[in-house]
Amino acid sequence: MSSLKFDNVTLKFGGITALNNVSFEVKPKSLYAIIGPNGAGKTSIFNCISGIYRPTEGDVSFGENNIKDLRPDQVADLGIARTFQNIELFENMTVLDNILIGAHRHLNYGPISSLLYTKKTRKSELAARKIAEEIIDFLEIEQFRYSYILSLPYGVQKRVEIGRALALNPEVLLLDEPAAGMNNEETEDIARFIIDIHEEMGKTIILVDHDMNMVMDIAEEVMVLNFGEKLAEGRPEEIVKDSKVIDAYLGVS
Amino acid sequence: MRGRPNLYTDYNKESAIFSNNTQKSWFFIMVAFSFSLCFTASEYWIYLLTSSFLMSIAAWGLNIVSGFAGQINLAHGFFVGIGTYTSAVLGGIAGANVIGFELDMLIWLPVAGITAAIVGLIIAPITVRLKGLNLGLVTLALVFIGSHLFSNFKSLTGGAGLGRKVARLKLFGIYLENGYQIGDYFLEKNQILYLLSLTLCILCGLGIKNLVRSRAGRAYSAIRDGDIAAEAIGINIFRYKASAFALSSFFGGISGAMFFTVSGGVEPGTFNLLYSIVFVAIVVIGGAGTVLGPLFGAFFYTMFPAIIQLLLHVFEIGEQSLPLNLGQIERILFGLFIISFLIFEPRGLWGIWFRLRNYFKAWPFSY
Repeated sequence: MSSLKFDNVTLKFGGITALNNVSFEVKPKSLYAIIGPNGAGKTSIFNCISGIYRPTEGDVSFGENNIKDLRPDQVADLGIARTFQNIELFENMTVLDNILIGAHRHLNYGPISSLLYTKKTRKSELAARKIAEEIIDFLEIEQFRYSYILSLPYGVQKRVEIGRALALNPEVLLLDEPAAGMNNEETEDIARFIIDIHEEMGKTIILVDHDMNMVMDIAEEVMVLNFGEKLAEGRPEEIVKDSKVIDAYLGVS
Repeated sequence: MRGRPNLYTDYNKESAIFSNNTQKSWFFIMVAFSFSLCFTASEYWIYLLTSSFLMSIAAWGLNIVSGFAGQINLAHGFFVGIGTYTSAVLGGIAGANVIGFELDMLIWLPVAGITAAIVGLIIAPITVRLKGLNLGLVTLALVFIGSHLFSNFKSLTGGAGLGRKVARLKLFGIYLENGYQIGDYFLEKNQILYLLSLTLCILCGLGIKNLVRSRAGRAYSAIRDGDIAAEAIGINIFRYKASAFALSSFFGGISGAMFFTVSGGVEPGTFNLLYSIVFVAIVVIGGAGTVLGPLFGAFFYTMFPAIIQLLLHVFEIGEQSLPLNLGQIERILFGLFIISFLIFEPRGLWGIWFRLRNYFKAWPFSY
C-alpha cells in the first residue's frame, strides 16, 4: 500500500493559474475529500494525478513512483482508477462491456490472440467475466447487465462508472462528484457504496463532491480549495468551524 | 440445460461465437448453401459472389479501424493496393519490365497481408497522434502518395496505363489457373477462386467476431466512444490505434492479393481516391461497428449494378431509351443510397436486418 503525495504542485494554463503550490498527502486506506467552490481546481487535481494534465511545477508521487510524467494508462496500471464529473462511459456498449473494459489491465493478450481466440484468451476472458460479475453483484446493477448505457437513468450510469473503475482493482479510487445531480435517496445509496468500497475492499478513496452532508459524514480528512490554493486541511469537524472555509465556501447557516 | 437451449448456464457459452443453436444452424445452412452455389450458379453470378466475398474482407478491415476504433481512414484502397502488388511480385510471372517470383499462394497470401500491416504500422506514428478531420486529411494524402508510388515503381507495378499480371494461382505447388480435375468433376478457375474466397471470407468473418468478443475489440470500441476515458482506464491508446491500423491493413492486403486474380491483371490507376471511398461507403451502408454490416454492404455494393440490370431486363426497358447511361444511373442511385442511409438508418443494412429480426422474433406481438 502506498500513499499519494502532492508536492508543491502548480498548474498553469497560459496566464491562468489553476493550482498554486498545492501540497497534500493521502495516506493508504484513508477516505480523503476535496471540497471547494466551482473552479477551485478540484478536478484539476484529479487530472494531474491521472496524467491528463501535466503539472507546470512540483511533483506528484505514488509510493516510490513519481507519476508526474506518466501517461494516463500508465497511471491506471499502477492502480489508480478514477471516475469523471460528467459521466464518461462508453455509450454504445452494454454495462457488462463497460465493466469488462475496466478489467482490461487484468488481461494480458494482444490483438492477434483476440483474433484467433486461443485457449489462453478463453481462459482470461472467463477470469475477466468473474471480476465483472462480482462488481455487478456488489453495485446491485444485475438487471442492467445487458442494457446499453444510453438507455440508463443518470443514477445508474454513475454507479456503472464506479463499477468500471473498480474493475481495475485499484489501490486508489478517485471519485469526481459521484453524488452530483442525485436526490437524497440516491445520494445515500452512493454514500453507502463508497463506505463499503472503503471499508470492505480496503481501498484508498479520494472524493470530490458538493454535497456537504455526505462529505462531512463519510470523509476522514478534508481539504478545502479556493481559487487553486489550499485553504485548509483537517478532520471534518474542524473544517466546518474554520472561519476561512465558512467565508469562502460553506457560508453561515 | 436440456430442453431450454436459450438459458445460459456458463459464461463460456454466453460469449461463444454463436450463442444459441438457431444462430449456429443458420450459419451452417448459409455456409452449405454458399458452397453449393459454386456448382449451380452461372459464371456471372459466381463472379459477382466472389467479388462480394473479397470486398467484404477488405470492408471488415476498414470496419476495424473506422467502425470499431472510430478513426477515419480514407486510404484503405492504398493498403489493398499494397497487398495486390506484394502478391503480384511474389506470385506473379516476371515480364519484360516487371519482376515476379512465381511463389506459392501459401506464401504470397499471408505475406501480402503482413506487408500491408507493416505499412500500416510505419505510418502509425502519424495516424495515432491525430483524430477526426485531421486524420482524414493525412489518410487522404496517403492515397495520393500511394497512387504516385504505384504509377512510378515500374518494375513492381508495370507503370501507369500498362499494369501487370497479378499472382498466379498456385496452391501446394499445383497451378490452378486452367481449372483442376477432381475425379470425374472438372473445377473451373472461377469455381476454384470462388471456393478460396468463400473460405477466406468465412475465416475472416469469424476472426472479426472473435475480435469483438475479446479484449482488443473492446479496447477499440472504448477508444471510439471516449479516448480520454479509455486512457484513464488503462488502455494504451497509441498502441491500440496502431494495432487497429495494422489489423485493418492486414485484411485489406489479403483482400487485395486475391481480388485481381479474378481478372488476372491490374493497373496502378485502379487505386485512386474513388477506390478508397468505395470502402467507406460499403462500411457506412452496411453498418459501421457491426460484425455483419460490412458483409451486407459489400454484397449490396457488388450486386447493385446487377440488380439494376436485372430490373431493366424484367421491365423490358432498353438501355437506349434511358436519358443517362447505365454507369451514371448506378452512381447516382448509389450516392442517393449513401445519403439516405446516413439520414434514415445510421446503423445501415445491419440496422434494418436487426429490426426485421426482432420484429419476427416477437411476431405476432409488437414487442
